[in-house]
Amino acid sequence: MIGKEKILNTLDSALKDSDADQTEAVYIGGESGLTRFANSTIHQNVFEVNSKIYFRAALGKKIGVASTNSFIKADLQKALSNAIEIAKNQKENPDFPGLPSKQAILSLNTHFEKTARFSPIQRAQEVKKIFDKAKVHDLTAAGSLSTGESEIAVVNTKGVACYQPLTSTFINIVVTGDNSSGYADYLSRNVDDVDVENLAQIAIQKCLDSKDPQGLEPGEYDVVLEPTAVASLLEWMNYIGFGSKPFQEGTSFLSNRIGKKIMGENITIYDDGRDQSAIAFPFDFEGVPKEKVSFVEAGVAKGVVYDSISAHKDKVKSTGHALTPDSSDGALALNLFIQGGDSSVEKMIKSTERGLLVTRFHYINGLIDTTNALLTGMTRDGTFLIEKGKIKHGVKNLRFTESMLKAFSNVAQISADRKLVNSWWADIGCVVAPAMLMKNFKFTGKTEF
Amino acid sequence: MEDRINETIDYLKKKKVDYADVRHQKTCGEDIKVKNGNVDALSRNDNQGFGIRVIAQGAWGFAASSICTEEEMKRVADQAIQIAKASALTKRENVKLTETEIHKDKYQSQYSIDPFAVAIDKKIGLLLDACEIMAKNQKIKVAEGSMEFFRTDKTFASTEGAYVEQSILESGAGIYATAVDGSEAQRRSYPNSHGGDYASRGYEFVEEMRLLDNAERIREEAVQLLSADPLPEMETTIIISGNQMALQVHESCGHPTELDRVLGTEISLAGGSFLTTDKLNKLKYGSEKVTITADATLPGGLGSFGYDDEGIKAQRVDLVRDGLFVGYQTSRETALVLNQRSNGTMRADGWNRIPLIRMTNINLEPGEWERDDLMKDTKSGLLLDINKSWSIDDKRLNFQFGVEAAWEIKDGKLGKIYKNAVYTGITPQFWNSCDAVCNRKHWHIWGVPNCGKGEPMQVMHVAHGTSPTRFRNVKVGVSK
Repeated sequence: MIGKEKILNTLDSALKDSDADQTEAVYIGGESGLTRFANSTIHQNVFEVNSKIYFRAALGKKIGVASTNSFIKADLQKALSNAIEIAKNQKENPDFPGLPSKQAILSLNTHFEKTARFSPIQRAQEVKKIFDKAKVHDLTAAGSLSTGESEIAVVNTKGVACYQPLTSTFINIVVTGDNSSGYADYLSRNVDDVDVENLAQIAIQKCLDSKDPQGLEPGEYDVVLEPTAVASLLEWMNYIGFGSKPFQEGTSFLSNRIGKKIMGENITIYDDGRDQSAIAFPFDFEGVPKEKVSFVEAGVAKGVVYDSISAHKDKVKSTGHALTPDSSDGALALNLFIQGGDSSVEKMIKSTERGLLVTRFHYINGLIDTTNALLTGMTRDGTFLIEKGKIKHGVKNLRFTESMLKAFSNVAQISADRKLVNSWWADIGCVVAPAMLMKNFKFTGKTEF
Repeated sequence: MEDRINETIDYLKKKKVDYADVRHQKTCGEDIKVKNGNVDALSRNDNQGFGIRVIAQGAWGFAASSICTEEEMKRVADQAIQIAKASALTKRENVKLTETEIHKDKYQSQYSIDPFAVAIDKKIGLLLDACEIMAKNQKIKVAEGSMEFFRTDKTFASTEGAYVEQSILESGAGIYATAVDGSEAQRRSYPNSHGGDYASRGYEFVEEMRLLDNAERIREEAVQLLSADPLPEMETTIIISGNQMALQVHESCGHPTELDRVLGTEISLAGGSFLTTDKLNKLKYGSEKVTITADATLPGGLGSFGYDDEGIKAQRVDLVRDGLFVGYQTSRETALVLNQRSNGTMRADGWNRIPLIRMTNINLEPGEWERDDLMKDTKSGLLLDINKSWSIDDKRLNFQFGVEAAWEIKDGKLGKIYKNAVYTGITPQFWNSCDAVCNRKHWHIWGVPNCGKGEPMQVMHVAHGTSPTRFRNVKVGVSK
């Protein structure tokens, strides 16, 4: 850890040398370790110290961006000078409203010392518990356990000076038998929250319960989706629909539908980077405080997230969802929530006459027909047939191809409990998802295992 | 840097590790994106650091840092040893590596025009001109273009005495037209989607693309797709264009022949492979028309290099020969399982990552057909062009791929266009239905700059040489 004072002072000092009209510096750096295992042995065990410092220089409405991973003064000066040189050769961006001004940032506790100091030996000792439990049942384990700390800072010449230290830990476990597998994972900022043995037991039980899976013909089934499965659907819906770029370009399923009912009345989806029950983070990469933003409220399309450039284009305020200065992807929601209900996975299974229980999905893709939020993907690591309110047996994996506008209009039950599910943006966000019972979910293909 | 690398190797030898290597890498990247007449992003990225990989007490450890001082290199060396000792807590047997030739060499990829020396104005200008052409239809809501350039200088040294320096230059570009009408949106790309096409070449590669010559065509096709019917569900003959064949080879042959994946080391992320070792030299992977190679020696391929990140010289090997599954992509550790030597496919996407088995240029070798003859020979079917979506199960069997456009083929001629087209199959059944591959005249090495694998995630540059290819009895149009 470099520390707040040194990072802010160094960036501030670099900006003082800038000839640009406005300049911004973003620091992302830290130390992280990851212990990866397969066949019940550690096969990859890594640690890195790294940083990335971006400079965004504005000459009028001409913007240049350059980055370096060196925090040495001369390298920072070179990167800044590259950014200014690029800006000089740029075309004007009419949507650039200027860099954001200073705003009050919420104070959040996002750093846990034990997570930051968790050693490779400690990680090895934790994963060994998984191997020992799997061995009892003649099963093998694969997965990873990561721990690390990082620092993020944003400084600009209009007075923004934000800093946040972070820790995070994530474990995923796939337990494999002769013809079945089971999965469990856990995400937290605090390594003390991780109960490795309990997670191993969940993955082992799923593997044992789905042994000798039977083939099932594709078709429409009622599905009980566990939170990890629901989160992976939402992750793709976010990518194709909840950001400013697809919305403004007309490819989002929310484009031209704001104010219209697009899902069931029991569906509310929002982003809230300030909610400390999840992986909270208080500001975006322009130093703008994160606002809570609703995408779907009681089934009605409400809006999308913005950064300062996309907000200026739509004549609204930034919601605090800018990505790093080099990105052209517009704003993106990083702290997604689906509102919980009053049910549970057990109740959902009990109320299902014939259907499927899905642990998680694999390799989802949502680019086929984005305006209808059509996704496809496979089931994985524990898919079960439910008959007359009880789990009957494991089934071979199936491919779904389904519009999420239809699927989220057919949600019969939502669990009260919600889970933090790891996503593409790990350290600064996640998806908080409940389990769901969806009616008539369409499976279009099957595989051989 | 050479002195510091050699000192670190000496330091590791004194620590009596079983094996160690040091890899220093410096990358400079430039990214240009234009959209609707404006420059959407223009950035330059400098990145350098080193990683140290160690086998100590019979187990692997790896540590990396962006601070390239002598003291930091020794600290990181010690840390890598400590991590290896932690790994040893759970080892079942000692890590062993195959014997290999020890190389001291230099490699430089070939190019004519250094893209970093080309004026930014010129590069932006080309993309803006293409956008202007694409925007000449009001239905085109987004006209975009992109270019990306990378220069990577890396040095590999090992306790076995290897010392290899490589300098690789890469260029890529593409243009994209998105047409929107109400709640309908359709996109066409050229020369490929997801960033265009890439090669280990200079700016001459971009100039040869003829972006301006294709802007009008993709504009009109995107608009045409807005009013097209969705592809109906049926079983039919399909001809897949070279760019989509690249994705087909990537997902259904490239990944499943990675031997580390086969041996289970990727199960927790993208899964395993159906090509288990008992199938080697036995499984009829495809028809006799199908020969697939892994060739890191192809000039200009995005998966080409001089040496992999274990210091193994670049090679060309067969994966599928005349339909028979005959080989894997291997590393020094995994090749031992087959009593073979590594065929040199271990690469890391940066100094801060360990090398994994990564695709090189994985190619469907050209057949004998002229493209026009293949079309004429097809009585009824579809022509599928440019990837739009991709999904495959965790053993690489059940796939469903979507394309930007599908055209009906009737009596050897192109007919109506369909939107939102997908096709699906089970990998070996699908490849066994291949009955024609176009010849070398129609063969192109497609650069794929975004292949994900590993934890932490690594994004690798790979490529696929392919030409238009025909398959029989394929299920299509199952998206709704």
